[in-house]
Amino acid sequence: MKTLTVVAAMALLLLYVWERVEIVRVGYQIERLKVKKVVLERERDELQVKLSALTSPERIARVATEKLGLVPPQRGQVILVNVKPEAPAHGEPAMPDVKLARNEPVGKVP
Amino acid sequence: MAAAPYRGRRMVAALVLLSGFALILFRLFNLQILQAAELTVKADRQHRKAVSVQGPRGSIYDRHGKVLAINMDVPSVFGVPASLDDPSGVARDLSPVLRVRAGEIEKKLKQERSFVWIARKLDPEQGRRLERMPLEGIGVVMEGQRFYPKGPLLSHVLGFAGMDSQGLEGIERRYDPSLRGEKQMVVLQRDALGRTVFPKGLHEQVPSPGHNVILTIDEVIQYIAEKELEEAVTATRAKGGIVIVMEPRTGAILAMAVNPRFDPNTVQTISADRWRNRALTDTYEPGSTMKIFVAAAALEEKVMEPETLVYGENGRMVVAHTVIHDHDRLGWMTFAQVIQRSSNIGSVKTATALGAERLYRWLRAFGFGERTEIDLPGEVTGLIKEPRNWERRSLASIAMGQEIGVTALQLVTAVAAIANGGWLMKPYTVSEIRDEKGRVVVQVSPQVRRQPISPETVHTLSKILEGVVTHGTGSKAAVPGYRVAGKTGTAQKIDPKTGAYSSHLSVGSFVGYVPAEDPRLAIVVVIDEPQTEAWGGVVAAPVFRRVAEQALQHLGISSQEPVKLAMTTSSEMARP
Repeated sequence: MKTLTVVAAMALLLLYVWERVEIVRVGYQIERLKVKKVVLERERDELQVKLSALTSPERIARVATEKLGLVPPQRGQVILVNVKPEAPAHGEPAMPDVKLARNEPVGKVP
Repeated sequence: MAAAPYRGRRMVAALVLLSGFALILFRLFNLQILQAAELTVKADRQHRKAVSVQGPRGSIYDRHGKVLAINMDVPSVFGVPASLDDPSGVARDLSPVLRVRAGEIEKKLKQERSFVWIARKLDPEQGRRLERMPLEGIGVVMEGQRFYPKGPLLSHVLGFAGMDSQGLEGIERRYDPSLRGEKQMVVLQRDALGRTVFPKGLHEQVPSPGHNVILTIDEVIQYIAEKELEEAVTATRAKGGIVIVMEPRTGAILAMAVNPRFDPNTVQTISADRWRNRALTDTYEPGSTMKIFVAAAALEEKVMEPETLVYGENGRMVVAHTVIHDHDRLGWMTFAQVIQRSSNIGSVKTATALGAERLYRWLRAFGFGERTEIDLPGEVTGLIKEPRNWERRSLASIAMGQEIGVTALQLVTAVAAIANGGWLMKPYTVSEIRDEKGRVVVQVSPQVRRQPISPETVHTLSKILEGVVTHGTGSKAAVPGYRVAGKTGTAQKIDPKTGAYSSHLSVGSFVGYVPAEDPRLAIVVVIDEPQTEAWGGVVAAPVFRRVAEQALQHLGISSQEPVKLAMTTSSEMARP
C-alpha cells in the first residue's frame, strides 16, 4: 500500500514536470510561428503595394498605348444598348439593363 | 573505547554540515522573505520588457476595392558605434546596399553616441540583403510606412500621413480616428537568451489594426478626370484647374481632380500650397455659371417664363453709373436665349425683377455661402454678402457671377440639385468603414439637405440648359449620343496688384450634367488663368465632353438616342 502511494505520487510529480516542459516547448513553437506570420504578412503587404502600383490606370494606359500600340476605342466602335430586363426566369437574377452590343474587347480605360 | 576518538570527529563533521545547512537556510530566508519584494522587482525588470505597440494603420480603397493607400513595414538600419571595431570597413560593406557613399556612413558610425540611424525606411529588398550580412554593431528594425501605390492619383483627396503614422491632410486627416491603429503597452517575457517567452497567462493582447476606409471615388473616372484636366491645363498654359464628377442622385463624389498634382509619397519636398484641395478650400467668382441659379429663381418665382421676351439693349446697358456689356449685340430675345447666349444684360434684368432679397435667399437656398459639409477637411463657406451690405451695382454684379465667391464643390453640388429633381444632396467621399475582418462599422447613406426648387421648374430649366449645349455657348460640351445640360462661365479675376478686374487673368468654367433626361453624372470643370483663350466654352467645355464621354462608357450608361451610322464619325473623334 505504502509503495503504491509513493509510486503514484512520483507519477503525478513527473506528469506535472512533463506538462510544464511541454508548455514551454509549445510556447517557443508558437513564438516561432508568430515570427513567420509577421514575415508572411509583410510579404503580403509588399505584394499588395506592388499589385496596386502595377494596376494603376495611369500605368495600364501607358503600357497599352506606348508598348502595345493600342488606342482608345473610337466613337462608334463601342455601342451600349438598352436591354429591357426580362422577367427573371426561375429565381435567376435579372439581367443588368445595359449590355455591350458588340463582342469587342472593350478597354474601359482609354 | 575504540569509538571515542571517532565520536569527536563525527561531532565536528555534523557541526560543519549543520552550519552549512544553517547558512543556506539563512540565505534562503534572506532572499525569499527579507528581500523578496525588492528582488522580485529586479527579476521582473530583467525578464520583462514593456513595449509600446501600435496596430497598423488601415488602408484606403476606391469604390471597387482598389488599394489607394496602404501601410507596409519597411526596414531601417541603425548602428551602435561603441561596439564597432572597424567603422570604415563596415561603412564600405554597407555602402553598396544602402546606395550611400561610404564616407557618409563612416562619419555617422564614428559619432560618440550609443545609437545612430544610418538609413530609415528602405526598400524591403535592401532589408533582406542587410539581414544576410553578418555585421557586428549594425541592426535592422522594421518601421511602418504609408504607401500611396498610385502616386499622384487622387492625392488632394487622400491627403497623407506623417512619419508617426498620423493623418495630416485629406481623408487621412478627416478619418484619422478610424484609420489609426490601436496603441497599447505590451509586456514581453524574455528568457536568459533574450528570446520572447510565450506569455504565462495566455491572455495575450495584440493591438488591433486601424479600420479600412472605402471611398465613393471610382479610380478609373478619377484617372480620366486627372488626365483630361492635365492635358487642358498644359494646352492652355493655365495656372491650374479643377474637375469634380458627382453622382447627382446621391451626392457621392466619383472623382475630384486638382491640378497641379503632387505625389503624396514624396510630400516632404513639396510646398504646402500644392497640397490644398482647392476644389473646396479656394473660392472664385463663378461668372456666368451663376445665371443658372438666377434663372432657377426667376422660373420658380414666376418672374420669367422660357418664352418671356427680354430686350438686350444692343449689348450695352448702364447700371449704377457703370456700363455692362454683352458678348454679342443682342436685341429682343426670349428668356431661354438669355441663358443660352449668356446675356449679362438679360440676366441683370432678371435679377432686378427678382429683387435683392429674393435673389439672395435663392442663392443661399442652393447652398452658396455655406459649407456643403463634405467629409473632407478645410472646406470654406464661400463669400456672399447680405443684401443690406450690397452696393448699388451689387445686384447686377451678382447676376453675372461677380461679387460672389464660390467653391467648385458648391457649384457642382448646386447644379447636381437641378439634375436631381430639385433635391440638394450632401456631397460625400467615404461610403463605408470596415474593420480588419471586413465587417462594416460605418455605412454612409446619401443625405438630402433640402429641395430648393420644384421638379416642374427643374424640367423647364433643364430644357433651357440643354439649349446652351445644342445651340448656345456650350456647344463644345456636347457628347454625341447623349443629351447634355450645362452652362459656361468666364470670369475675370481681380488683379492682386491693382485690386481691380484684370484684363488678362480669368477663370473659364463649365458645369453641367448628363444624360439630361436621367442625369447620372454632374461635372464641373474650372480652368484657372488660361493663357490662350479665356472663354469657358472654349477652354472648359471640351474637357467636360471628354470626361463625360469616357466616364459614361466606363459606367456602361447607354445612349438614349438611336444610333446612326455607327462607324462613320471616327475621323472626327480621333484625338491624338
